[in-house]
Amino acid sequence: MKVYRCEVCGFEYDEAQGWPDEGIEPGTRWEDIPDDWSCPDCGAAKADFVMVEVTRA
Amino acid sequence: MSVDTIAIVGTGVAGATAALTLRDAGFDGRVLLIGEEPHAPYRRPPLSKDVLRGSMPDERTRLRPAEHWATKGVELRTGARVTGIAADAHEIVLLCGETLGYDRLLLATGGRPRTLPVTDGVPGVFTLRTLGDVPALRDALTAGTRVLVVGAGLVGAEVAASARAMDCAVTVLEVERTPLARVLPPVIGVRYAGLHRAAGVDLRTGTGLKSLAHNGSELVAIDTDGAESHADVVVVAVGMVPNTALAETAGIEIDRGPVGGITVDSQGATSAPDVYAAGDVANLPNRVLGGRQRVEHWMHAQDHGAATARAMLGQGTPFDVVPWCWSDQHGVTVHITGWPDAGDEVRLDGDLDGMNFAAEFRRDGKLVGAVGVNRAAQIRLLRKEIAARTSSEAIA
Repeated sequence: MKVYRCEVCGFEYDEAQGWPDEGIEPGTRWEDIPDDWSCPDCGAAKADFVMVEVTRA
Repeated sequence: MSVDTIAIVGTGVAGATAALTLRDAGFDGRVLLIGEEPHAPYRRPPLSKDVLRGSMPDERTRLRPAEHWATKGVELRTGARVTGIAADAHEIVLLCGETLGYDRLLLATGGRPRTLPVTDGVPGVFTLRTLGDVPALRDALTAGTRVLVVGAGLVGAEVAASARAMDCAVTVLEVERTPLARVLPPVIGVRYAGLHRAAGVDLRTGTGLKSLAHNGSELVAIDTDGAESHADVVVVAVGMVPNTALAETAGIEIDRGPVGGITVDSQGATSAPDVYAAGDVANLPNRVLGGRQRVEHWMHAQDHGAATARAMLGQGTPFDVVPWCWSDQHGVTVHITGWPDAGDEVRLDGDLDGMNFAAEFRRDGKLVGAVGVNRAAQIRLLRKEIAARTSSEAIA
């Protein structure tokens, strides 16, 4: 499971968590999210996200 | 009086978002979006990170595709400077001499980098705020270049981290005891000092720049502790100054205290009829803590621009968005929300030294701020918790 971060506002999409607020189930891979999905916080495009290394506690 | 023309001065995120919000809210009159910068609206947050490092093309910073503004019926004028406001006549004057009438005016003039008298006129000194500032600095940061960053705020700390990633030799001077002192309490700031030092940054705290001289092919800096350092490039990152001159000349109330900015009410209205201000330049009420504030973060400018646009159409509600920002330095991400400094109690969840934690800052038991490293989702929830407090529960 990977984490992708919006390079505009810092919002993070965590594949393990999904984004249930918009019906994206936990475990949904980044590549399976529609290309026209946009950042829930700032509206930036999916293309404005980058994968980040995140260590889990 | 009907509203036919709305003019917006400033093409940063507050002004640009206001223009688009007017359309979203159903306004079908003329929208003028006028800015001094030569670029169409773009995103500043990546400038000190990916754009400076060259890992994000300048093109990718565009806020919207080039054709979007015309599609939305926004008359975008870049490279155009507004030199005067005739508030009584409801007109603005451009440098080119053109006069434009307005029914509502939004001042989203942002700010400019604060400069230091000791670096005035010295070659090899940079500031970073606009897309236009990037290329020359990026070209100067080749591997092995000695970089002196003055100021360890968000911009200075991110430039230092980017320069290290570009294999520069980096020294940072910070007058406060810990880096990022405006956004991080010392207990967390000291961990950031450790992070920068572990990444090879020569971070010197509690000291400022006393003098800077050009000596042959290098710059020689003396700090206030008397220590000398040698650099090829100096980046001054000591904050911003709000651009209030246009408002002040027009007789619009500005704040003359240390916070500065154009004084607005909870809906963005200035002291002049039909003139509003939003974004970094606005001095607005703090509806959670009481008092007034100016906020210099990206998301705040975006939200404030949108809210003020609705207020200009008579659809406003009191603005009470809680500030938040994030930063990425040496691969470590921090999210900050609210006013951590206002807390009198810290509750820590996680490992501070291991840089994996969320810290809640409370005052009188109520949440006023939060800082998280590696905890984006948690901080997002805490922001909503702070925002849920209405002004009737304000604790100041």
